[in-house]
Parts: sequence; structure tokens; C-alpha cells
Amino acid sequence: PQKLKCVTHNLHKMICTWDVSSRGSHGQTEFCYTTNDLTPQICFKTKERRVEIPVPESSITVTIKSSGIAFATKEFVIHQKDISFVPVTPHILSLTSDFATSTLNLKWSDNGSVFPYGLHALWQIQILRKEAMEEVTEVTYYSKLTHEDVILAWNWTSDMPLQCTSHYVKIRCYINATQFVGPKDWSDWSPAEVIPGKDTEPGGNGVFPLDAVVAVGSNVTFCCVHEEDQRITNMIYGSKSYPMMQLSSRSHAIRVLNASASDTSGTNVVCTLENGMDGTVIFVGYGPDVPQNLSCETPNFLIIKCTWKPGRPSGLYGKRRTKYSLFERISGKNVSCEVNEMNSDRICGFPVLPDQKTYDFILGVSNPIGQAQSSILVDITQRVHPKTPEKLIVTGNNSTSIQLRWFINGSFADIRLLCQIEISSGHSERKLHNVSMPGGKFSTYTAQLNTLHPYTKYQFRVRCSSADHFWRWSDWSREVEQTTSEASPA
Amino acid sequence: MAAAESPSAALRRRDLCSRGIRLAGKMRADVVDLLDAYVERQGLDASASVAAVEGVPPAAVERWDEQTGTQRLLENLAAYRAFRALLAQMLEEQREQLGEADTGLGRALAAVLLQVSAFAYHLEELLRLESRGIPGEEGDGPPPPPRLSLFEQKLRGLGVLRELAQWAVRSARDLRQLAKPSLATDAATSLAESP
Repeated sequence: PQKLKCVTHNLHKMICTWDVSSRGSHGQTEFCYTTNDLTPQICFKTKERRVEIPVPESSITVTIKSSGIAFATKEFVIHQKDISFVPVTPHILSLTSDFATSTLNLKWSDNGSVFPYGLHALWQIQILRKEAMEEVTEVTYYSKLTHEDVILAWNWTSDMPLQCTSHYVKIRCYINATQFVGPKDWSDWSPAEVIPGKDTEPGGNGVFPLDAVVAVGSNVTFCCVHEEDQRITNMIYGSKSYPMMQLSSRSHAIRVLNASASDTSGTNVVCTLENGMDGTVIFVGYGPDVPQNLSCETPNFLIIKCTWKPGRPSGLYGKRRTKYSLFERISGKNVSCEVNEMNSDRICGFPVLPDQKTYDFILGVSNPIGQAQSSILVDITQRVHPKTPEKLIVTGNNSTSIQLRWFINGSFADIRLLCQIEISSGHSERKLHNVSMPGGKFSTYTAQLNTLHPYTKYQFRVRCSSADHFWRWSDWSREVEQTTSEASPA
Repeated sequence: MAAAESPSAALRRRDLCSRGIRLAGKMRADVVDLLDAYVERQGLDASASVAAVEGVPPAAVERWDEQTGTQRLLENLAAYRAFRALLAQMLEEQREQLGEADTGLGRALAAVLLQVSAFAYHLEELLRLESRGIPGEEGDGPPPPPRLSLFEQKLRGLGVLRELAQWAVRSARDLRQLAKPSLATDAATSLAESP
């Protein structure tokens, strides 16, 4: 017996193997070992040239008696430093894929139960692609063993749609057993798990990604999966032909760098084959900007109107357009806003809630590329912007005074209103007359103007706001005209 | 014995035919404009070859000369009903994909859809004039197409508009044929023979 070599996979047991010269290789072997002088020798017979025995704390004495054509006995002393530690080959529990996001999801067991608590483990994960199984990337993942079998998970997003060609994953591990003095090495690679591409499916033809949405500036790989015997002429992105890479006998790809914003109907990617054409559409746009100048007010204490500036247009329309929702934290109520992508200002209505004055709004903005939000805390009694006063009429007049009446659509019973009447006549300077009054519920309001000149034609218009906390004037009402009566003879 | 067509019916038919010819001419001009806008807005290659659109009878027909008046009207009606459904589908897809972003193309599509509907009604008038029953709309036109990818939708739209432009030409020729007196008796005769 010669070249005794011992390897442990779990730091407890080790597998020792040895060579035997041809003359001694057919008979039975007696294998004896003892870890130190105090413990009795343990022997057993074996036909193999391989035994599994405990890993010694420091060293172990082994005696191998082989009985073949000639008897031979050899003694070995193995120190821990001579034993190499190679972890068991990891086992992939599952490899799944999400074609929509081109993501691979890997799960494996760390087999930690066989190791002491607290050891650091390194996992090398290799991604391979194409028929030739070319390496795409190799990633190192770190974990800590807990003396229990823990399922580890890792995911990876491909720079190419998974449909384009088959993707393979392999994994191996290295355990940093600091207490173990022998040489330590990486485990073997696990068998490769595969996510088949469409180029392995009968009828899997097409151009991918299918109808995707990406951010401006993205680098995108498009592929054309076709029949094996179909010759591919070219692949055009927008109006430009790109150099093709062959992924497999049924799949060719192009790589578009720094994609620019697409038209409203998207950018076509056309694959021309010798007897046909296939294609896809990609929408290249922007994620939503953080809404600017978010402001909320109530015109009538029935609804709260929030407005904001959207920032840079997303360039995405229809079902890919940017969507807005208004969430109110105190009540937990959420409202989705109908917004016309084409006009620049944005407005969203939220109902005034019974017995709630303060509103803590979050305006959420999202589209397929990203999301953003703005927030605002508002006391609606301090954000009253009444509607335009209507039906302004003169209800009474004499030579020096006039009574006006008007209506405001809204429910202002909880506040006082401040109204401003503009008085103009002929070429004289316009005068403003302020009057404040208790607010009403869908009611009319009156005001009396005195110290007017007799037999004079006047024009009046009115606007209103909140008296308690001024926020904004309403628009001016329509103007009414009235001539004061003649003064009675003195 | 073939019943001769009354002078008033002949006059009415020629009036319907000439109005139909004008409608077909206008429709063709609008479809050609729409086709140019569609190709440009959808980023397509104007020379792209497109497979025949499922559900639309091809405008090209063999032995066109031998068709009876009723056959012409029935084939025309089937085609324009199919176009009505396909254009409505295109309009729906347009709204879903582009929303308010391309209302111009949407309006042009809607305008052509209106003309196609009017033309289909016109054909039904002509068939009524020939005391011919109007074929029912089996399930409102062609079966809804399978869910197409966006690129396939774009190509199908291109195919529909191209075929519609061809049909507008054929319809005008068919109606000119129908307007001729000689054909009127064929129509009457084919009615007499029909069960």
C-alpha cells in the first residue's frame, strides 16, 4: 500500500484512499487505525482501497495489511495538516425564471447542519449561455453557516431576454474552516441547471423582448428566434440595421446601446428572414419626475383639488402612461386620478371628508419605468379658493346707495367670507369695498354700498375669499351696471 | 320570363350606384391618406410585405366579368362588414396603446370607419332595392382575432388599410357595372331563379 490520501467533506469524517502495487491488488485488506496510544486500535477488513474514518484532532496512525499474491504491511501517520477539506458539491434545489423581467431565481441548501456554527461560506455561482455554454458571469455570494441546513436564494437579471437562448447555472462552495489546519479547497461544481430558451421550442419563433418598456439610455439586447433552416437577412432597430450575434442555430441577436426615446407608437425592431418578417415593439421613455409645486385647495368644502407640475414628460402613452393616485394618510383613503397626458397641468380631486379639516396627502406617480411621490399636509380651512360668485344683481337702490346680491356655489357654513366689491363709474378711479359675512351653504350673499353719487352710472363686480385665513381670491364675477336715482329736490 | 325593371327602380338604382361610386372614391382617397399617416406614425416600412389579413375577402377576384350584380353586392357587403369590425378593433387598440397621444391618427381612423359603415349601409340599400334579403351579420363580422403582439397589430393594421384601399377601387368598378342597364336584368333574373 502507498500514497495514502485523506479528504474530508464535513470536518467529521474523512475518506482515505491508497494505491497498491499490481501484485497486491486482488486480495482483502485489513485496515487498522488509532488516534493515539491510549485508545485501542480499530481494525476492519475491506476489499476497497477506500475507507471512511473519523477526522483526528491532531494525528492518526494507520496500518494497512494487504493480502494478495504477497503479503504487505505499511504504517502511515497522518496529521490533520495532511488532510484536505473539500466541501460536498452543493445541490441546486430550484432554478426558476421570470421571463417578463429576464430574472433567474436560484435556491440551494447550504448543508450547514454538518458544520459547526459560525463558519463563513463562499458560493461561486456561474451563469452560462448559448449552445456553446459560454460563461456570462461568475458571482461570489457570502453566507454564514448556522449548524442548520438553510435554503439560500439568489437572483440575477440577464442583460438579454431569457427567451433568446438557454441559460445555465452552476454553483460551488468554499468553507473557511479556520480551525481546520489542513489544506482547504473549493467543492466541485454542481451539475448545471438549465432554463431553456425559445430557440429550443418548436414554434418558439419570435422577436424578444416582446412589447417591452425601458428607460432612455438603456442598453437592450433584442433577439430573433427563427426556424433552423431559415436564413436571417438583417435585424433593424427603428430605421437602423445592427450587426448580429449568433446565439444558437435558431437565434440571432443585436445589442442597442443608450436607447433614445421612442415615438408615441414605440420603436419597431424588425427581423427580416429570407421568407418573411417578424418583429416586436419597444417603448423607450422616462420614469416619472417627482411632482413639483404640489398644492391643494378647496373651492367649496365638498372637494379638494390638488394641482402639480409633472416635470419631464415620460414619453409613454396609453396603457403605459404615467398614472397618479392621491393617498390620504389620516383617513387611509386612496383616489386614482384621471389625468390627460397631453395637457401640461395636472389636477386631481379628493372628497372633503366629514369632520376632517387636516389632510396628509401623498401624491403617488408611477409608470412601467419607475415611480415617485410628493406629499403635502394641508388644513383646508386655510386653503379656500371659492368659485366665481354668480347671479350678481342689484336688489335695491336710491340716490346714494345700492344693494347687491350674489350666489356662491359651495358650503362655507364653517367659515367667514371676505368679499371685495369693485365700484367703477365713468372715468373716475375704481374703488374697492370690502365686506365680510358668515359663510353659508349654497346660499346668496348681500352687501349695501353707501355714499354713492346720485344719478350716476356705476359698474359693480365682486370676488370672495376666506376671511379667517386668506388664501386666494375667487375670480371676479360678471359685472352689473346700475344708475343711482336722482336726488330728491332739497 | 324575366320581370323587366320598372323605370323608377332603374332610376333609383343608378342614383344609388353613382352616389356609391362617389362614396367609394372619397373613401379610397381618405384610406390612402390614412395609410401614409399610419405607416409613418407606426414606424413601419411602407414596402413591408404583409400576410393576408384573416377575415377579409381579397379584393382581387377571378372572372370578375362573370359575376352577377347580386354576387357583387353580396361580396362587397361581406367585405365592408369585415372592414367595419377590423377598423373598430384597430381604433380600440389605438386608444389602448396611445391614449390621448395620437388623436390625429385616431380621428382619421374613426372617419374612415364611419365611411365604411355608411358604404355598408349603402350596399344594403342596393340589395333591398333588388328585393333581395340582407344577409344577417353572422356574429358581427369575423371572429375576434387572437391576442396579437404590438408588432403584429401594426402589421395587421397595415394589411387592413391596404386591402381596404383595393376594395374601394373594386367597389367603384362593381357599382359602375351595376349602373349599366344590361346588368339590371341579370340582377332581376338571378332573383327570379333564386329559391
